[in-house]
Amino acid sequence: MTDVKSEKSSRTASGWSRRSVLKATSAGAVGAAATPLFFTQNAWAEKAIGNYPVKGSEVVLGFNVPQTGAYADEGADELRAYKLAVKHLNNGGGMLDTLKPSKLTGNGILGKKVAYVTGDTQTNADASRTSARRMIERDKVIMVTGGSSSGIAIAQQYLCNELGIIFMCGLTHSNDTTGKDKQRYGFRHFFNAHMTGKALSPVLSKEYGKDRRAFHLTADYSWGHTQQQSMQEFTEKEGWSTEGNIMTPLKTTDFSQYLSQVLNSDADVLVLNHYGANMVNSLTNAVNFGMRDMQKNGKNLEIVVPLYSRLMAKGAGSTNIDGVLGTSGWNWALEDEGSKVFVKTFTDEYGFPPSQAAHTCYVQTLLYANACEMAGTFYPPEVIKALEDFRFTGAGNGDTLYRGADHQCIKDILVMQGNSPSARTSDFDYLKIIDQVDAKTVDYDPAIFGGELGPYVPA
Amino acid sequence: MDMTLNAFTLYILTGLQLGSIFVLIALGLTLIFGTLGVVNFAHGALYLIAIYLAVSINNALGFGLALILVPPILFIFGVLMERGLIQRFYDRPHTDQILVTFGLAIVLQELLKWVFGANNIPFAIPSWGNGIIMLHDYLPFLEGFVVYPKWRLILVVVSIITVAAVFALLHLTRFGLVIRAGMRDAEMMQFLGVNINRRFMIVFGLGSMIAGIAGVFGGPVTQVSPEVGMHLLVPSFLVVVIGGMGSLGGAVLAGILIGMAQSFTAPYINLNTVIIYLITVIVLLVRPRGLLGAKGVFE
Repeated sequence: MTDVKSEKSSRTASGWSRRSVLKATSAGAVGAAATPLFFTQNAWAEKAIGNYPVKGSEVVLGFNVPQTGAYADEGADELRAYKLAVKHLNNGGGMLDTLKPSKLTGNGILGKKVAYVTGDTQTNADASRTSARRMIERDKVIMVTGGSSSGIAIAQQYLCNELGIIFMCGLTHSNDTTGKDKQRYGFRHFFNAHMTGKALSPVLSKEYGKDRRAFHLTADYSWGHTQQQSMQEFTEKEGWSTEGNIMTPLKTTDFSQYLSQVLNSDADVLVLNHYGANMVNSLTNAVNFGMRDMQKNGKNLEIVVPLYSRLMAKGAGSTNIDGVLGTSGWNWALEDEGSKVFVKTFTDEYGFPPSQAAHTCYVQTLLYANACEMAGTFYPPEVIKALEDFRFTGAGNGDTLYRGADHQCIKDILVMQGNSPSARTSDFDYLKIIDQVDAKTVDYDPAIFGGELGPYVPA
Repeated sequence: MDMTLNAFTLYILTGLQLGSIFVLIALGLTLIFGTLGVVNFAHGALYLIAIYLAVSINNALGFGLALILVPPILFIFGVLMERGLIQRFYDRPHTDQILVTFGLAIVLQELLKWVFGANNIPFAIPSWGNGIIMLHDYLPFLEGFVVYPKWRLILVVVSIITVAAVFALLHLTRFGLVIRAGMRDAEMMQFLGVNINRRFMIVFGLGSMIAGIAGVFGGPVTQVSPEVGMHLLVPSFLVVVIGGMGSLGGAVLAGILIGMAQSFTAPYINLNTVIIYLITVIVLLVRPRGLLGAKGVFE
């Protein structure tokens, strides 16, 4: 009763009591705090996914790269690129000036300062998953990116999809990554084996003729298998025949037992579907077997390396790669504005030009950040929608589409040729660009590889 | 498998040269185990040190100096390793020896990666060993054009010479006599006034030196990257097990057997991957001490 009395006695002339004023103020404060959400796209549907919502003044990104193991050098270059991307996101500069359309301001992402944690994939699926899970659960990263192998990328992509964390693939070239294993939360900027086959085969038939017999040596894992299938498909369309294919264990260091099979066949082209140390060893072994100076069927025996990288070329040595054809996603010698500014800022920072692995990782980080800015939120389904079918330019590969149907970037790719030792002017030009194949030529129907992206909100 | 005479010859040669690397590495392993009773999992790392030394000297000063310098350096390294670490584990269980040597192998591997990077360093074959040999010029039964890399045949010859030298050392010299006696009963040798520990130190150095020879000639074949040592360690260790722990003859036999098996199964990836383990299982089931192993050792 006392309460009622006092309430009545404290009522103002306008009919407001102190309590009702307090109630209204509290409700107003709550409403005001929540107001930004009302104006965010689809905010009514937002709920906690992965590490969303992001708390505090920082947003943390997870860079999971091979810091030990066979791809450690590539991983080190990826990490350099990621650190540079963070620097540019927080302070401006680099491709922030060339990427179009872009909402990046150089003031972090959505006003939050960008921080990062790093992990070591060890080029091992289990280790990469453990490392990614640690970043997600302990360090509360909003996005994971990295990797130098398709098997590792696919493993992390599945994990991140399950946990509601966007995974921006690093260096992965298997058709499966955005094919049968594609995931709603996985995105690949790098090109793939199918695009390599499509771009490279016409160049091969022009250089070596249409009546050729190919023998494939193939790394026995996801990437190798799809690379071999794509090369076989497109070289046969050019009129070549396939003499044989041997799957080689990933840990092989001496390929002589497989090269003996090639010697014993009628093949006049050797296609090495190998990457990293595998390619370095198989190519070096093939050269030792005299295959660069050999004739078969009245023609010079040729060696093809479908996927090239500068580090691999350096490992094999310019004498061995002299004249050998392959493809790359990007090269530091490109002259477009995006490439030039990236090469300059990277070189200023580290003293040498970036690799294609560094390029794709740098661009992926910027694209994710830009998608958050465009969506106006870190809420993963909205960021995914912002990335899907996003068309952009100024990132080093001409006009590029992040295709919504399979999360594969459709962009120009490069046909490369090994430089001779005498043509080299520095320790970084082991390869030269002989053709830039446009995005339209390497485009394909995403349905051919099957797979399902799955829902925007993980189950 | 299209098994013509040409193909068969290539298979045999490939098997021999694959086996040669295994034999060179397994020889040091089995020598150390047979005399010192130490399971040296750091032996792959010794090979790794050898190829990095060899490629560095080769690229700077030429192959001749690499050949002269690397084996003695590895001998000294082996002696230091034995004095500094291994001798403290003579009386410890094999598991302790495996753990410490495996740990040492990882440390050495990461150290080399830190210094030289994870990427491959091209190891060029010297001009006199470069190129191919026209086998059809020497073997009249071959049809048409059959070639093989000269360097790999040199590797086979080096392997044969090294095996012969080790056999001669152990069986034709007084030093070898003492070592063999020490292998039978080290305690008795000490009672007879022989400083067996000093000789064991030399044996460890010798095992390491053979890894040095393997590195100089095997480097251009396996190439030079930090993972090479570990990749070769497992098959080489299995060669020692199949041949019989501590048996030099067994290591040679098993090395060639494994090389041949890998060569002949090359077109069949699934079999090729497991053939070494399959042979190991079969040999150990049928003959637990290995092909030429002494009775009671690791049986």
